Amino acid sequence: MFKKLFLGTTEIDFKLLGNKFYKIFIVEAIIFSAIIIASLTGILSMNLSVDFTGGTTYQLDTIYTDEDISEVLNNNILEVSRYQTFENSNNIIFRAVESSQENETQFLNYLSNKFDVITNEIEFQRVGPTFGQDITEKGIRALVIFLSLIALLISIRYEYRYAAIALIALLHDLLLTFSIYVLIGLEITPSTVIALLTILGYSLYDTVILFDKLKDSQKTFKISNLNKDVLNKTFNEVLMRSINTSLTSAIPIVSIIVIGNYLGIEGNLADFAIPLLIGIVSGTYSSIFVTVPFLSKIIKTN
Amino acid sequence: MKNIIKLLFLPVLSIALFGYVFTNSIQPKLGLDLQGGISVILTADEDTEPELIEQAVEIMRTRIAAFGEVQEPEISISGENSVLVQLPGLTDQEKALEAVGTTGLLTFRPVINSSLQLGYSPALSYSENPDDPENPIVSAPAGVDELTGLSINDDPSTTSYLLSLTDGFPIIYELGPAELTGNDIDDALAVYPSNEWIVQLNFKDNSADKFTELTKDLASKIGEQRKLAIVLDEQVISAPRVAFDVSPDIGITGGTASISMGNVDQGESANNLAVILRYGALPVSFERSSIQKVSATLGENTLNLGLQAGLIGLIIVSIFLFLYYRLSGLIAILGLASFGALFYSVIALLGEWQGYTLTLAGIAGVIVSIGLTADSYIVIFEKLKDELKIGRSFNFATEKAVKEAWNTILVADFVSIIASIILYLLAVGPIRGFALTLGLATVFDLFYTRMFISTAVPFVGRITDNPRFYYPLSRKDIESV
Repeated sequence: MFKKLFLGTTEIDFKLLGNKFYKIFIVEAIIFSAIIIASLTGILSMNLSVDFTGGTTYQLDTIYTDEDISEVLNNNILEVSRYQTFENSNNIIFRAVESSQENETQFLNYLSNKFDVITNEIEFQRVGPTFGQDITEKGIRALVIFLSLIALLISIRYEYRYAAIALIALLHDLLLTFSIYVLIGLEITPSTVIALLTILGYSLYDTVILFDKLKDSQKTFKISNLNKDVLNKTFNEVLMRSINTSLTSAIPIVSIIVIGNYLGIEGNLADFAIPLLIGIVSGTYSSIFVTVPFLSKIIKTN
Repeated sequence: MKNIIKLLFLPVLSIALFGYVFTNSIQPKLGLDLQGGISVILTADEDTEPELIEQAVEIMRTRIAAFGEVQEPEISISGENSVLVQLPGLTDQEKALEAVGTTGLLTFRPVINSSLQLGYSPALSYSENPDDPENPIVSAPAGVDELTGLSINDDPSTTSYLLSLTDGFPIIYELGPAELTGNDIDDALAVYPSNEWIVQLNFKDNSADKFTELTKDLASKIGEQRKLAIVLDEQVISAPRVAFDVSPDIGITGGTASISMGNVDQGESANNLAVILRYGALPVSFERSSIQKVSATLGENTLNLGLQAGLIGLIIVSIFLFLYYRLSGLIAILGLASFGALFYSVIALLGEWQGYTLTLAGIAGVIVSIGLTADSYIVIFEKLKDELKIGRSFNFATEKAVKEAWNTILVADFVSIIASIILYLLAVGPIRGFALTLGLATVFDLFYTRMFISTAVPFVGRITDNPRFYYPLSRKDIESV
């Protein structure tokens, strides 16, 4: 089996599988829509970081008990909306809603006294809600321009239907990542937004390499239209590369998560690595399971 | 010969640059998130003129330089109406921040008395202590600190006791209520007409009379009371004396005044005073829209995490490539090592020459680029396998694989480069650092593919044409297809 995979001589009939994949895709699409509707109507809530909601965070490294935490939550200086603790470290993060500068300083001193940590060692962050909005707005603007350019590029080099497929695959990866975030309740930070933009790059990169391979196979078969043989040959051959590339891309990212976890650091880098890993796995999945059914449809119309 | 140059160009360049960077101990300039410090985004009102923001940034720079203990502060305009202030490795962050971000109030106040004349703060009065003659009883007016003799909270509309440090030793002034403010000033300029630095001060038309009245009053006095203190927030910046030839009946007229600063060495302080008089207050008021504090330990941890993750990732990817592609895998490992050295050197040099700082997001971009670069090798090696499968001779197959893979990699990298450029142009803050490293890595990848891999693969291909040296497959396996 491994040898066949490596030689690209697996004889999977992707054209036939296309119908099955299509059904899976429809199910996924329904789940995504449900999650989007649920999060828009407020049934599921997005765990937005302080960058988007506005407020303050205090992170400190200390030994604490559950009683300490509930005492902090019930303090009468600031309204602490959430806290976060970590398995492998003594770090604890408190999040508070927006308040006056005096209250914030007072709370900082309170934490400093309570946990016997000097104020300079307490990570303090204050953000107005505009900061996160700014990043998101600019991100969306970048996204729209980028996607139009890419669609144009793919249409010129391959054909417009390929561009449509690439965008569907992309949307799939973004929605999958988003859905996982909403379902698990992982915190959405500006790093997550950057990661989503990177996923986009990965997803397209993978799809473009696949399209190139399709074009190549068409040349080998000396035909101008996509057909069943081209599709099957291409996907059987490309399987190994897809797996290898995903592995080489995923390894450094997994090492960030693993080492970060081991060192007890759950900061920005981990915020970045987790969505990226989800995106890479999703990108590999979609470059086969999402593109194949749509390519099969192109074959039918040809 | 031409091929050898092509093959060796990038490895030699990377070794040379790395050597240069290493021997000159140039290290990448670390962003605040990696070395600790404080980062603030100050935002002005939406329709603020860009010119005013530029002025504000200039003033902030002078102020922070005056603060002293900040190493390499970075104050830059970010976006249309925001200023990014980055103060690395700072102990008294809150004070520094205030120094930078507050609008500041510039006032002119008549001097009533000073410690220069009395030897101690004019606010404090001492009376004999019958129990302990060595320690007299100190009493201070309301609102004055008994220990320092300074006003605790300065109120410009009443008498205050404020400190001046500009003369090299501390002086405490007793000051009357503010008579004029920074708003009354039209312009201020440091000039050096002959043997002496002078700060030329122009008042606005409707403030000129006020200034004349004030100087009339001062000219009628003697000693310290002839001085007019220039106060920025709670510090006396300068206290020039009204010249003796000014008549108490006329005062200084015409809305202009010159402050004598002394001989040729005083150029810098004359300029500073002129800047403070001109812009003492920031021309715009800012709001802190984001504050981020990173402790030095967390910064260091994150940096180590990034480096370790990158290194371990690189090692595992190398092992993986070697197991799968053997001899060609070795090329890939050499290529990746050279790529890493070149990338590190360029980041370090960019920091040295262009002030580029490596941030967390930048490191993330580097780590992501390892995967993309490794993929270029994989694409070529897989192409080669396809060519071998259709029964081409080894030498021909390597040439053809290299040529065709180039097209694929070009298109795929093009997508990444477009993404990086758009992200860089349209995004803010951390996303830019990420886009820059990703874009840079992709451009390097193109060069490595075109020059290094494209010549190295056919080159190594001449050693043996036994597929076992390139893939975990025998010749029989390949020919069976």
